[in-house]
Amino acid sequence: MKKWAEVALGVVTSIGGFLEVGSIATSAQGGAEFGYQLAWVLVLGTMSLAILMEMTGRLAAVSQRTYADLLRERFGYRFFLLPLVAVFVVSLLVVISEIGGVSIALQIATGIDFRWWAIPTAIVGWFLLWRGNFTIVEQGTAMLGLVAISFAVGALKLHPVWPTLGRAMLPSLPSHDRARYWYLAVSILGASISPYLYLFYSAGAIEDEWTIEHLGVNRVTAGMGNVFGGGLAIATLVTAALVLAPREIKVDRYEQIALVLATPLGRAGLVFFIMTLFITCFGATLEIVLAMAYLLAQGLGWNWSENLKPDKDARFATSYSVLILLAALPIAIGMDPLTLTNISMVATAASLPVTVIPLFVLMNDGDLLNTHVNGWPSNLALVVIALLSIVLLVAALPLQLLGGG
Amino acid sequence: MGALHLSHDVIDAQLVDRQQEKIGRIDELLLELEDGQPPRVATIVIGGVARARRVGRWMLALHRAVHALFGHREEQESRVPFDAVRRIGDTIELDVEGDTLASMRLERWLATHIVLRIPGGSGERK
Repeated sequence: MKKWAEVALGVVTSIGGFLEVGSIATSAQGGAEFGYQLAWVLVLGTMSLAILMEMTGRLAAVSQRTYADLLRERFGYRFFLLPLVAVFVVSLLVVISEIGGVSIALQIATGIDFRWWAIPTAIVGWFLLWRGNFTIVEQGTAMLGLVAISFAVGALKLHPVWPTLGRAMLPSLPSHDRARYWYLAVSILGASISPYLYLFYSAGAIEDEWTIEHLGVNRVTAGMGNVFGGGLAIATLVTAALVLAPREIKVDRYEQIALVLATPLGRAGLVFFIMTLFITCFGATLEIVLAMAYLLAQGLGWNWSENLKPDKDARFATSYSVLILLAALPIAIGMDPLTLTNISMVATAASLPVTVIPLFVLMNDGDLLNTHVNGWPSNLALVVIALLSIVLLVAALPLQLLGGG
Repeated sequence: MGALHLSHDVIDAQLVDRQQEKIGRIDELLLELEDGQPPRVATIVIGGVARARRVGRWMLALHRAVHALFGHREEQESRVPFDAVRRIGDTIELDVEGDTLASMRLERWLATHIVLRIPGGSGERK
């Protein structure tokens, strides 16, 4: 019974973790400009993330070490600097965007300019990290994040054309604006497959004291949670395809995305949109700064746990405190959240090789995983994801220049 | 237990002290050279200087510059004799008190000067 409660909670957590500022913005842009056509990218991104999360979760549960621990231990300090710096740079960009998302939600709700909300958001977020424990951060934001289901309700009320949507689950070439199409494809992949998600997930397995007994929970959480989360992102794309595309509205401001729920659901839709944007971005803010502090603490061997009081892990607690306040500054001085979101998602996509390729080595290490090493299907999947990550690294900058505008 | 692979099992391993608190990782190992004696693994080094040295001269210079900026004069580095190793497993336990290590100075300073001055900084588990 306890196991099932854990499974249910895990699924809810990954739904809450999946949808955030990046997925909302890029899915809405994709739907507005290319209808259902980019849905296959969300399928690809969701499947890749589910596979990466299952593996990092299994690695932590069996070896009792986090992915960041093993990046340092098995590859040495020199190599470790590479994922450390890459993940820090992109995660900082993403967390700034998330604080931007929270601030925009508050601007739409109150009419007060988003710049004023950045610092208060960071302070409230810091307070929760300082006083709250891992369960509060993980499950609290996940439970509230279920309001994102309103996107699924909105999509259904708009009566999507199912056969067309079904066909869009398979890749197809665009008939117009090819650079823009592939740019959005890269952004959507960057929004789906974020290193912070699996670094956080792997640290969470240790925080929640997972053992080999939890491998089933891990599989269901990573699989089902991402199916639901990815489903909500597809729902966002569908609503944008049905509301924004016919009116030829291209998303260049967050306020325009509010229309995708306000059209099918009326005033309640606007409220749901604000709540979804607020809660999912706020939850992601907490998870990203924690993921960064975990990476630093684990890589350098500091004491760390969101369940310890800050004086027991002073360097860890100071790290997330400094990071969350630092991330609020660019928004407070007026950087445009949507532009920043788009840049962050492409940068994330480009950063993937350094955290995906080492996983292949670790998942085949019998000393760490005993009989739980990858079988050939998992290895094949991981090779495909690694190749995809290399393509993303090579394509990111040219596409940002050609299709980013 | 047979042989231990220094680069695979020892360097970069997580260190814990007597209380099982995490006190850093093995950033460097030193061989002791004495006249008339074969070299032996003698010292565990913990600290940013050792890590910077592993990356290269430019990193060492950068590390020193950053510390000079904060006005640190002494190196915040700990050298622990290998004899202090009590157990080698997933982590390596040293027979030391974490609080006495120079490499833990920043941790102690942050705890006493920053964390404990903010409400909710101390106590039992959250």
